[in-house]
Amino acid sequence: MALRRSTFKSGLCVMMITAISTTLLGCAKPSLNNINAMTYCSESNPGSFNPQLDTSSTTADASAHQIYDRLLEFNPSNGLIEPGLASSWLVSADGLTYTFQLRSGVEFHNTSYFSPSRTFNADDVVFSIDRWRDKSHPYHHVNGGSYPYFDSLRLDERIKSVERINGYRVEITLYIPDSSFLANLATDFSVILSEEYAIELMTNGRPADLDRFPIGTGPYKFREFRQNQHIRFERHEDYFLPTTGPQQLVFDITNKGSLRMAKLITGECDAVAFPSQSDLAVIQEREELTLLQKPGLNIGFWAFNASKAPFDNPKVRRALALAIDKTSLLDAVYLGQATRAKSLVPSASWAYQSTAKELGYNPVRARELLDEADVPNDFTMNIWAMPVQRAYNPNAMKMAQLMKSYLADVGVNVNIVSYDWNIFRENLRLGMHDSVLIGWNADNGDPDNFYRPLLTCEAIPSGTNRAMWCNPEYDELIEQALLTDDFALRTAFYHQANKLLFEQMPLVPIAHAFQYQAIRADIENMEVNPFGGIRFDSVTRTKK
Amino acid sequence: MKLFIRYLNLMVVTIFILLLFSFILPFLFPGDLLTNISGISPQSNEQRIALEQVYKLDQSIFHQFAFYIESLLDGNWGVSTSDQSNLLHELLLAFPATLELVAYALLIAVVIGIPVGFLSGLKNHNPLDFSVVTFSIVGYSFPVVWLALIFITIFCLQFQWLPISGRIDLLFDVPTETGFILIDIARSGISNKADAYLDALHHLILPTASVAIVTTALFIRFTRRSIMDVMEKDYIIAAKSRGFTQRQIFFKHGLKNALLPILPLLVLQISTLITNVMIIETIFSWPGIGRWLIQAIYQQDYPAIRIGMLVVSLCVMALTITIEFITRAMNPARERAESATV
Amino acid sequence: MQRFNLYQEEYHPSPLINIWLEFRRSHIALAGFVLLVVFLVITLLAPLIAPFDPYLQNTNAILLPPAWEPNGTVAHLLGTDSLGRDIFSRLVYGCRTTFGSSLLIVAISVFIGVGLGALAGVLSGLRSSVVNHLLDSIMSIPTLLIAIVMVAILGTGLGNAMMAITLALIPQFVHQTRTFVRNELQKDYVLLDRLDGASSVRIFIHSILPGMVELIVVQATIALSIAIIDISALGFLNLAAQDPLIELGLSLSQGLEVAYVAPWLIILPGLCIFLMVLSVNVVGEGLRSALRTRLHH
Repeated sequence: MALRRSTFKSGLCVMMITAISTTLLGCAKPSLNNINAMTYCSESNPGSFNPQLDTSSTTADASAHQIYDRLLEFNPSNGLIEPGLASSWLVSADGLTYTFQLRSGVEFHNTSYFSPSRTFNADDVVFSIDRWRDKSHPYHHVNGGSYPYFDSLRLDERIKSVERINGYRVEITLYIPDSSFLANLATDFSVILSEEYAIELMTNGRPADLDRFPIGTGPYKFREFRQNQHIRFERHEDYFLPTTGPQQLVFDITNKGSLRMAKLITGECDAVAFPSQSDLAVIQEREELTLLQKPGLNIGFWAFNASKAPFDNPKVRRALALAIDKTSLLDAVYLGQATRAKSLVPSASWAYQSTAKELGYNPVRARELLDEADVPNDFTMNIWAMPVQRAYNPNAMKMAQLMKSYLADVGVNVNIVSYDWNIFRENLRLGMHDSVLIGWNADNGDPDNFYRPLLTCEAIPSGTNRAMWCNPEYDELIEQALLTDDFALRTAFYHQANKLLFEQMPLVPIAHAFQYQAIRADIENMEVNPFGGIRFDSVTRTKK
Repeated sequence: MKLFIRYLNLMVVTIFILLLFSFILPFLFPGDLLTNISGISPQSNEQRIALEQVYKLDQSIFHQFAFYIESLLDGNWGVSTSDQSNLLHELLLAFPATLELVAYALLIAVVIGIPVGFLSGLKNHNPLDFSVVTFSIVGYSFPVVWLALIFITIFCLQFQWLPISGRIDLLFDVPTETGFILIDIARSGISNKADAYLDALHHLILPTASVAIVTTALFIRFTRRSIMDVMEKDYIIAAKSRGFTQRQIFFKHGLKNALLPILPLLVLQISTLITNVMIIETIFSWPGIGRWLIQAIYQQDYPAIRIGMLVVSLCVMALTITIEFITRAMNPARERAESATV
Repeated sequence: MQRFNLYQEEYHPSPLINIWLEFRRSHIALAGFVLLVVFLVITLLAPLIAPFDPYLQNTNAILLPPAWEPNGTVAHLLGTDSLGRDIFSRLVYGCRTTFGSSLLIVAISVFIGVGLGALAGVLSGLRSSVVNHLLDSIMSIPTLLIAIVMVAILGTGLGNAMMAITLALIPQFVHQTRTFVRNELQKDYVLLDRLDGASSVRIFIHSILPGMVELIVVQATIALSIAIIDISALGFLNLAAQDPLIELGLSLSQGLEVAYVAPWLIILPGLCIFLMVLSVNVVGEGLRSALRTRLHH
C-alpha cells in the first residue's frame, strides 16, 4: 500500500543519514602531522608587527620573540642580562659610553617579499635606534611616529649619539648616566630591524610595509596575517641559535576567553593567552592540560585622569580610593590568587617596600572627603574597563561592576565604558577617560620600568601614563634614582616616591598577580616569561 | 515579456535606492566623515586635504555620488579602518564561506524538509505526522544561538568529537584561492589531502546542523500546510471521487499546486536563514561575511559596514526579485500574489 | 422595541468566540496559552515575583549551583552568577525585558504597519503596486543587517535594537493589510457602505478592520516569535541590551565566560527564550488551525 511504501522510504532515508553521520563522527580525528607545528590562541589583533610602535603585550607576543632579536636579552629564569645580537659590551668608567661588539654571520629572513643580500651588521643597529630617536629620520613618521615606550622614558633626549665604529661595532653615548639603559636595550621593544629592507621599501614607495610585513633576524618568519583570524609563522632555518621549536607556528586570534578555554580542551589550541581565573581550577583538574605559573612582575591598578576636574584634586582621588574594598575585589576577580598591591612594584623586585602604606576601606571617610572637596551627592563618573584579559587584571569588566556598587554606596554614579582594544588604547591616550582599570607588566627587571613609564610627566604624550599625572617632585626622585648604580640608594629614592604616591594617589594599586600559561600536557619547555612576550623557539611537543 | 520588464524595472529601482542609502551612510555614522569614507584617518592637514580631493569632498554631492558609483564599478571599494586591508579582497574571501553554509543548510532543508512536509501533510493526524509536527514546532522555536551552544557543549566539550571553530585546522596550510574550502584543498599542494577533507567536513558539521535544523523545521511547516490546503481543494476531491489513487492525484495536481505558493514563503525565509548563518558564524568563528560584519561593528569600522551592507542587501534583493519573477512567470493564473498567508 | 430572542436554542457565537472554542479543543494549544499567560504575568509583575534584587552583588555567594545540586541552597533556587547575584531573579527580570520589549515591538509594528497598509490599499494603480513590490524587497533584508546599520549609526542599546526590529517587521503588516484592503474594497458590502455615503476612513474602521483582525492576530504571533528570537540574538551579540540591563540573550553571553564551572548559566536563559518562543508558536499554530476551520465552514 502507498502508506507502507512511503514510510519505508522515509525510514530508509533516516537510517542512511544516521549511518553516514555516525561513521563521520566515529572516525578517528584526522591525523595531522603536528609534531612540528603548534597553535597558540591569542586574545586580540596585534596593532602592528613592530613592538617599537606600541606597548601592548598583544603586539609584543606576536612579534618580539618570534620575528626579532635584540642587542641584549633577558634570561627568563633569573632576569639577568645576556648577550643577544651583541656578543659582548663595555661600559665606560663615567657611565656615558656603551660599546657593543656585534655577532657576525646572523642572517635576516628570506621571504616571498624580501631577499637579504647581506648579513646583520652595525648599520642595522644604527637604523633601528635612529628610527625612533631622530625626528628627522625618513622612517620616523612612518606608521604614526609614536614610540610610546621610548617616548615615555625620553630616551631620545638621553642618547647623545649612536655611531658605527666598524661593521661589527657600535658605540652609544649618553648625556647623563642611566643605570637602567642596558635593561631597556633588552626589553621587547628594542628590536633590531633590517636597514636593507627599509631602504628597499622606501625606494619602492611602500615604507609602511616595514611594520606590516616585517623582516627580522628572529627564529620565526612572518607568513600571513588575516585580521581577526590568524597569523602564520614559519621557522627561520638559518637562525643563528640552535632551535628546537615547531616548524610551523600559528596564532589563532580568539577574543573570548571562554572560547580560548574551549579550544584548549578540544585541542584546537596548544597554548592559550590569559586563561580566566575561574578556569584555572578546571585546567588543573584535567589531565590533558597543564597550568604553568610564576609570580608576576606586574601591577593592576585603578588610575584617575588627573588632568580632568575633579580628579585633579588629590582629596577626591583619596576619597574614591577609600570607597572601595580591595579585599572583595581580590576575592571576586582574582579568586584569591593574587597579592594585594600597596605600591607599584611587587615583592619579586629588589625595590619592593613591604612597609608601604595603603588606604583601607572607609566609605564614611570617603564621603566626608568628597563633601570637603565639594563633590555633589549624585556625581557621575566613568570607569573604563579593558576588554582584554591580562594577568594583572583578568576581568576588568567584573571589577568595574563591583566597584560601581561600592561607589554607589558613597553617592557616586558610575558608567562603565569599554571599546575594542586598539580603539580603547587610542582613546585612553587622548585622555577621554575619567578613570581606567588597567595595569602594567614589567618589560625588564629594573624598578624604573614601573616608576618612569607609568607616572612621569614625560610619559603623558606617549600614553603610558594613564593617570595623566604630572608632578615635578616625583620626576626628580625618579631621575635621581637613575644616576647611581647602588641598589640601596636607588631603593631609598623609590621608597620616597612611594610616600609621595600615597599622599597624591594618582592611581590606586590593586593587585600583583601570578602570571599563568595554560598549555596542553604534551607541550614541553614552555616557560612563563615575566618580562613580556611569549617565546616558542625551544618549545617541543612530546610524541604520543 | 511585460512581466520581465516590470521586474527588471523593480530591480533597477531597488539597486538605485540601495546605492543611494549606502552613499548616505558615512554622513550618518558618528566620527570623522573623511575617515568613514576612506578608511584612513589623516595624520596631518596636508594629508587631509589630499584625501578630500581624492574623494571629491570639495565638490558637490552629485559629483561625490557619481564618484562613489564609479569607484564601486572600478573595484576600488576602499580600505578598512582597523588594518587598512583592501575591502574588496576581504569580501571576496569571506563571501564564499557564508555561501557554503547557506547552500548546505538550504540543501538539507530542501532535500529533507520538503519531502517530509509532503509526507506528513498527506497522511496527517497519525503518529508519524504528529511527531513530525512536534519536531517542526520545536525546531523553529529553538533559538539558534542556544542550539549552537548546546551542540558545542555536547559534541565538542563533553565528547570531543568535533572542533569548535574555523573551517579547517589552521595547521593545514591551505592557500585560499576560490574561497570554497573543498575546492581549495583539491587545488592546494599539501600532502595529506584526505586528512584535510575529513577535517574540513568535521568543521562543517556543527555550523551546518545548527542552521539546517531550524530551517528544515520551517520548511516542513510550510510544505505541510500547503499540501494540506491543496488536498482539501475541490478539484482534488473531484479527482478522488473519479477514482484516481492518492499517488496519481498527488503527482499530477498536488505537487505543483502545493509548491508554487510556498516558493515566495521560502524566499522570505532566506532573510531568516542569512540572519541565522551570520549568528552561527560568530559562534563558530566561521570566517564568513556575518562574522566579518559583526567584527566590523565592534571595531567601528564604518567603511566595512557600509560596503558589507550594500553587498549583502544587493545579493538578497536580487535573489528575492529573481525568484519572485520566476514564480509569477510560471503561474500566470495568479495575478495578485499573496505572499503572506495564514 | 426590545429585542428578544425567540429561538433560545440557537446560539451563534461571534467569530472571535468561535475561534476560542475551536482553539480550546486542542490541548496542546491550551497548554501553550497557559505558558504564554505565565510569561505575561512575569513581565507585568516581575518585581513582585523575584525573590532578590537582581542587581544585588554578594561576593560571599559566587557561582552557587542550583538548589538541587549538593552545594546549592534553597535560598538561591537556581544558583548565583559570578558576582553573587541570584539567577532566578535575574531570569525573571530578563524574561520581562525580552518579552516586554518584543510585545512593544509587535504592537508598534502592527499599529504603523496596518495604518500604512490601509493607506496603500486605498491608493490604487501603479503607485500602489510599486509600493507593494518595494515592500517585498525590503522585507527580504536580513534583520541582523538592519540592526547592524542602526547600531552603527545610533550606537548600541536596547532602544536602538528595538527600532531596528520594528523596522524589519513593519513591511509584513503593510503588505498583508494592503492586499486585504484592496481585495475587500472590491466586495459588495463595501460598495453598499460607499453608496450610503461613508468616508474611506469610516469604511476602513468599521467594515474592513473587523474582518482583518483575525489575520492580523495570527501574523502578530509570527512577528512576536521573530521579535523574541531577534532581540535575544542581538542581546547575545552585545548589540542590543547592555549592562546593567538584564536581558536573556545578554545573560546567555555573560554566562559563557564561566560556562565550565557553571553550565546552568547558559542552559537556563536559553531555556527561557525557547519556552517563550515555543509558547508563542504553539498558540499561533492553534489560532491558525482554529481560523482555518472557521473559514472552511
